[in-house]
Amino acid sequence: MAQNNDSNQEEGYQSAWSRSITTKEQFKIIKRMMHFAMPFKWLFIVALVFSALLATVNILLPRLLQYFMDHYLNKGNTAFKIILGFAALYFMGTILKAIMQFFSNFLYSMGSEKSLEDVRRALFRKLHTLGMRYFDLTPAGSIVSRVTNDTMSLMDFLQVFASLITGLFAVVTAFIAMYSTNAVSAWIVLAFLPILVVSIWYYSHYSSKVYRHMREKLSELNVKLNESIEGISIIQEFRQEHRIGREFEQTNQDYLDARKAMIRTNSLLLSTLIDLLYAVAIVVVLTHFGLLAQHQFVEAGVIYAFTTYVSNFFNPMDDMMDSLSALQDGVVAGSRILRILDDQTTAPAQNEGAHGEITTGKIEFRHVSFSYDGKDKVLDDISFVANPGETIGIVGHTGSGKSSIINVMMRFYEFYEGKILIDDRDIKDYPMAEIRRRIGLVLQDSFMFYGDISSNIRLFNDKITDQQVEDAAKFVQADHFIEKLPGKYHARVIEGGAKFSSGERQLISFARTVVTNPKILVLDEATANIDTETETLIQEGLQRIRRGRTTIAIAHRLSTIRDAEQIIVLDAGKIVEHGTHDELLAQKGHYYQLYELQRGKNVDPA
Amino acid sequence: MGIFKKLGWFFKQQKKRYIAGILFLLLVDLAGVVPPRVIGILADLMNERRLTTRLLFMWVGLLLIAAIFQYLSRYGWRNMIWGGAATLERELRTNLFSHFLKMDETFFQRHRTGDLMAHATNDLNAIQNVAGSGILTFADSILTGGTTIIAMIVFVDWRLTLVALIPMPLLAISARILGSRLHQAYGESQAAFSRLNDKTQESISGIKVIKTFGQAKEDIDDFEGIVDRTIDINRKVYRIDSLFGPVTSMIIGLTYAVTIMYGGWLVTTHMITLGQLISFVSYIGTLVWPMFAIGRLFNVIERGNASYDRVYQLLDEKSLIKERSHATEHLVAGDISYHVAAFTYPDDEEVSLQNIDFDLPAGGTLGIVGRVGAGKTTIIKLLLRQFDNYEGEIKIGGKNIKDYTLEGLLSSIGYVPQDNFLFSTSIRNNIRFAAMDKTQDEVESAARQSAIHDDILNFSRQYDTLVGEKGVSLSGGQKQRLAISRALITLPEILILDDALSAVDAKTEAAILTSLKEDRSRKTTIISSHRLSGVMNADQILVVDDGRVVERGTHDELLALNGWYAEMWRRQQLAAQLGVGGAEDGAK
Repeated sequence: MAQNNDSNQEEGYQSAWSRSITTKEQFKIIKRMMHFAMPFKWLFIVALVFSALLATVNILLPRLLQYFMDHYLNKGNTAFKIILGFAALYFMGTILKAIMQFFSNFLYSMGSEKSLEDVRRALFRKLHTLGMRYFDLTPAGSIVSRVTNDTMSLMDFLQVFASLITGLFAVVTAFIAMYSTNAVSAWIVLAFLPILVVSIWYYSHYSSKVYRHMREKLSELNVKLNESIEGISIIQEFRQEHRIGREFEQTNQDYLDARKAMIRTNSLLLSTLIDLLYAVAIVVVLTHFGLLAQHQFVEAGVIYAFTTYVSNFFNPMDDMMDSLSALQDGVVAGSRILRILDDQTTAPAQNEGAHGEITTGKIEFRHVSFSYDGKDKVLDDISFVANPGETIGIVGHTGSGKSSIINVMMRFYEFYEGKILIDDRDIKDYPMAEIRRRIGLVLQDSFMFYGDISSNIRLFNDKITDQQVEDAAKFVQADHFIEKLPGKYHARVIEGGAKFSSGERQLISFARTVVTNPKILVLDEATANIDTETETLIQEGLQRIRRGRTTIAIAHRLSTIRDAEQIIVLDAGKIVEHGTHDELLAQKGHYYQLYELQRGKNVDPA
Repeated sequence: MGIFKKLGWFFKQQKKRYIAGILFLLLVDLAGVVPPRVIGILADLMNERRLTTRLLFMWVGLLLIAAIFQYLSRYGWRNMIWGGAATLERELRTNLFSHFLKMDETFFQRHRTGDLMAHATNDLNAIQNVAGSGILTFADSILTGGTTIIAMIVFVDWRLTLVALIPMPLLAISARILGSRLHQAYGESQAAFSRLNDKTQESISGIKVIKTFGQAKEDIDDFEGIVDRTIDINRKVYRIDSLFGPVTSMIIGLTYAVTIMYGGWLVTTHMITLGQLISFVSYIGTLVWPMFAIGRLFNVIERGNASYDRVYQLLDEKSLIKERSHATEHLVAGDISYHVAAFTYPDDEEVSLQNIDFDLPAGGTLGIVGRVGAGKTTIIKLLLRQFDNYEGEIKIGGKNIKDYTLEGLLSSIGYVPQDNFLFSTSIRNNIRFAAMDKTQDEVESAARQSAIHDDILNFSRQYDTLVGEKGVSLSGGQKQRLAISRALITLPEILILDDALSAVDAKTEAAILTSLKEDRSRKTTIISSHRLSGVMNADQILVVDDGRVVERGTHDELLALNGWYAEMWRRQQLAAQLGVGGAEDGAK
């Protein structure tokens, strides 16, 4: 399953890849993403100081050897004590180097890690401020991928800077060291820099194309693999093994070709090319020194030190080349992260200074109109009053606007016309926490969280005692099946409650609502097939929860709301009929038709 | 090292590639011996003021030639060896995939999709690593190590070489130790990442519940707790990872120190020249990588070996379904005689089916009803030869089904499973899945028979609409009806609907059943359902409970029997009277 997710994320990845981002935008994204690193700037600064020191030690060590060679070894008969002293000095230098290496690496990584986790926190917090519309429109998989995978790319992104800056340190210090040894040779080596920059740029530009193609093929391969395993019984039953095998083989071969192209590109351009340039630089430098030696003395130590500096100069280039492709990844990921952080689909806000408590639970809709896209009205001039303790049943075809009533009532979506009053006061004048506490929504699809039965009933509310949890479960008669579970209230719940039937999940969802003891109940009835035994429990459960509470019930089975004080029939967002069950039947209108239609149907499950 | 032997078949098959690769490596290493020595010689020549222009150009010319030589050889070995690794991965993936295609239900019950995917991705990656960096490290550490050490001995001094090599094994050892620690820490880090992923997944999926109960703050706190723990776990990874560089530096530093001491003494006593010492210091640099790589080689080999064993364990599993040697290809009539005394699922203890007997003449319709888990699907699975290990005999057209080839048997059966799995391709290709050569007309006629044609016309790209993540999201009822078209298009002798209409409303169900009755009048149909209206017109109905037939007969006979069926029928009728109706799940 995880693989499947991966491959889907991969798909999303490709689509973002195909859009080109202008340089200006790229800088803007980089700048904004760097913001997340700011709180940890000291980690980065200290790490970079260590890295600068490291670069210095890296040129001082050859210099030490050079001095040793030219001043002692060259002179002959040096006391062994001095030799020993140099060896000890050199070894201490390496210990120093090791310490600096460790801290610069470790601190930088920790800085990146903390920045990355900060982005995750920010994203997660932002997600909780977004309105339901955002979640209705965005597939869960892609949101998850933003929070987990894209933030990872940020890490690589910071790594690019690390390798660029350490590379810069190495180049600068190596240049200074070379310059102080022999200025002309130093300029000769520096002349290689433009060539290096161009080849690095060319490589990252060219390889990213090849790389993208390879990743695309890999994701295709994994999607096929996953799908074939999941659909294996269909493939076998319909005798399609050969065709599917052939198709898979094709993709497999495509991936191999793409990979070989990537290998060729890397072999041609990556470290091999840098190594070649390095060797050419050595050749040029040695030629220069050799010609110099024709008319002046060149000490052996100078040759040693200088060639070592040249290698220091070229060494970081491989790293830089590698990391540049990560820069691209990082920018793409960053743009997607920022899109969430900038999203304006925020959850509806309450009026300022909202306070007060919901006491009786009277609900009034006064000329409420609502639309998801600002054009098509999904609710059109809805008005009704539910007195404390009354049940209002809402029926209508799919798409008639039933669910939208819940969406505005629960403040999942903002409505712009009309008013919703609770206890004769504007719903926007109550704090959101009060609304959440007093209005209980029983959802159609009862999502269950990883944990146990008890944690699924109390959710995160620690104030609810075990006794209250059990009482709630008993109240909705969920205790029958819970008692039979191994571990009872502590029975594990995994992966969205997969082990439980939809009926059982529904009962847990009832208990969840009962335990918070809301004044007002909003009921979105399940359409799922539920076995008859549980169905009876659910119907009884519903009756019980409704007792003493004002209830708005979206009903799919008319039997649920037969005894409601009022029934509203919605059609295309308008109230077309309004009355009791008997009144509406007598009218022989929409309700009567719905009723007849359902009676005519033969029905579910065993 | 056993893994190299296990992969012997591959290396043999790719003999030329690997020999070429290793020759290229040798060339790189031989050319690599040149620069340090040339630098040393030039340093000496300059130091002793003996360098002429002729000598200079001769030596740097050699250097240039060696560099170009190295570049070409590097290009060569990389393509050979990395290409070999990629080829191995492709090969193994093909084997694994065709193995999956051949395996039976038992296999897929034993291994979950996620695990199989992990074998086909992570394990293959670990194995290909052996053929790539494993071979490279193995060959190159011997070649580079060998040529460099020989160069040190020949060009400089054997005693100095011996002394300088003393600290080197430490590199291999520390690489090995750090490598396995890192691997372990990395495993924990992966687990932490999964937790974070699961948590996010869950919060997004349950966002409505969280909002409903006003628990955003608590959810954020929970998430941040997980984030904090993740940071702690990753700190360990970075600590170990950041140790690699410093440890290498220290050990190399030690080597240098030893070289300075002994080499310095050798220079002052004129046993070697200063230029030779310079060459020697350069050679030490060349030795770092092979020594370090040897340490890592153990990790690569270990992982590759474990992965290889896991993959081959999968490949060694045999399908329990075997074709008999004299099996026939042809299936004529659809009359079924089903007599199973007992059946137990492999890896299970409880008996799942007991004494299931029925005879269904060609053209007849059998209904199977019963509660969830009663054994309805199991009865069908045996008919499809997903399991062969039952007591009893199932005959079709008077012949044991085990005497048909799977091809012959299965291509005569159109099966619509409960979970209506569709592939992420176009609707058209989903319908003609079993027969890609069917024309648009034939596809449409199958779609009409299963009452999905009109729905398809409503999609923006109609029959070209993609199914799944990238395309249209279908309702459960639509998926079921597509799955029915898929089974109908081959005009199968026997059609099996395994609770395949549960998400379809009663009216559509009736329409589909009527059209089936008309179009398939001479053909056999088996319908399992827990909605009794789906089977009431069958010629024969079996009521299954706990793996046994508890009632049987026609609809009227069963009603007269006044048992479970009659009770269920009354309940479902009553529910209908009350107006309880399962709507088609098209709410969203």
